Amino acid sequence: MVATDEELVARSMDGDVDSFNQLVLRWERPIYALAYRVIGRDEDARDVAQETFLRAFRALPGFKGQAKFSSWLYRIALNLCRDWIRRKKRTPIVDMPEGVDVIELAAEQGPVESIEDLVARQEMSRIVAQGMKLLPDEQRTAIVLKEYHGLTFQEIADLQGCPLSTVKTRLYQGLTVLRRHLESQGMTSFEKSEKGS
Amino acid sequence: MSIKFTCDDKQTLVSYLYGEVDHETRQAVDAHLDACAACAAEVIALGDARSGLGLWVPPDVELDFKIVKKSELPPANVLRPARWWNTVPAWAQAAAAILVLASAAAIANVQVKSGPEGFSVSTGWMTPQAPALSAPAVRNADGRQVEEWRAALVSLEQQLRSEIRSTREQETRVAARTPADEATIRRVQQLIAASEQRHEQELAMRFIEFTRDINMQRRADLQNVARGMVNYDERLMRQGQTINSLIRVSTTPQQ
Repeated sequence: MVATDEELVARSMDGDVDSFNQLVLRWERPIYALAYRVIGRDEDARDVAQETFLRAFRALPGFKGQAKFSSWLYRIALNLCRDWIRRKKRTPIVDMPEGVDVIELAAEQGPVESIEDLVARQEMSRIVAQGMKLLPDEQRTAIVLKEYHGLTFQEIADLQGCPLSTVKTRLYQGLTVLRRHLESQGMTSFEKSEKGS
Repeated sequence: MSIKFTCDDKQTLVSYLYGEVDHETRQAVDAHLDACAACAAEVIALGDARSGLGLWVPPDVELDFKIVKKSELPPANVLRPARWWNTVPAWAQAAAAILVLASAAAIANVQVKSGPEGFSVSTGWMTPQAPALSAPAVRNADGRQVEEWRAALVSLEQQLRSEIRSTREQETRVAARTPADEATIRRVQQLIAASEQRHEQELAMRFIEFTRDINMQRRADLQNVARGMVNYDERLMRQGQTINSLIRVSTTPQQ
């Protein structure tokens, strides 16, 4: 039976490093994805994700379980992202994944998707990333937390330290800007199967 | 009491969009959307924007983070080798400083004198001739003091040397490899191996790109050559026709 986060946290607090490493394994990809989408650079996102787990490990004795472990991790990661953006004093740059080869990706996708479809999909991904880059940090972070991590409005409000209504406003404004950007780039409709809720 | 939804209630619209509304609110929004084409279009457009977000995928990278437990060593021993003087006690350092100063003073033969002309400081062994009277007594007293000083300095030096030696031995023992160091080394080796693997993959991808570029360039060059050949043939044909017409004109007898 798979141990829950709470069980692994309890064992980690008793000094079991392996349990903490199980938590790392479970959460490293979501945390990396969050950092990547917020700051937009692969290498820096890796650094942020790694630092998140280091800080979490060091701060574990102070974790009282008031929030979910994942929310606590998200908070640490978002603080690091905020620090990164402040330190670098530059707009987050959203690049296409580094080292992506269209031919290799096509091979990975199998025979169902043609290279043309794949190139089109990558182009759309790039346009979406550009649109997200246009948003203020708070709106982008709210959208990322909602769309890709499935947090509730209240959880996002807790993480961002703002009222629930502000979160909804940020989401509405962010989605509206994104929608206009996508429309300006000729992207108006998508298959329902791509919709992530 | 029934819930009424209006066009400017964007917060409820967002909640509806994400399915975080109760049954009554959902019904109210649905009813409104049936009647309001603008809001219905907005919901569809926002839904499209959300669908577009599904296309944005982060790179599929290998992370493999792992916490490796460190030993109880102080960070200085882990990050950089400790300097021996950092581990010598302060009293020993102070004593060493005094020893150095005293030795320097002894070597330089520093002499401070006061007289009717004021203070005078002189160094070196080439001292001026002292008056004959009372000189032996002074020399005897100075000799005893020098002997005492020398003995004290020698014992102090020996004490310092033994202190430094024991400190170095301790440092050597501390710097010996611990299981945690082994784990760190293993981790570093893993990181290096992963890095090498990434570089190899990148190199392979670059090579594939390069090969593809070469092939594309070759195809383009071949097409250019083929086009050039066609043009050349056409030119040759035109030149042939011109030559033929010239021959015809030149061979036609003039009237």
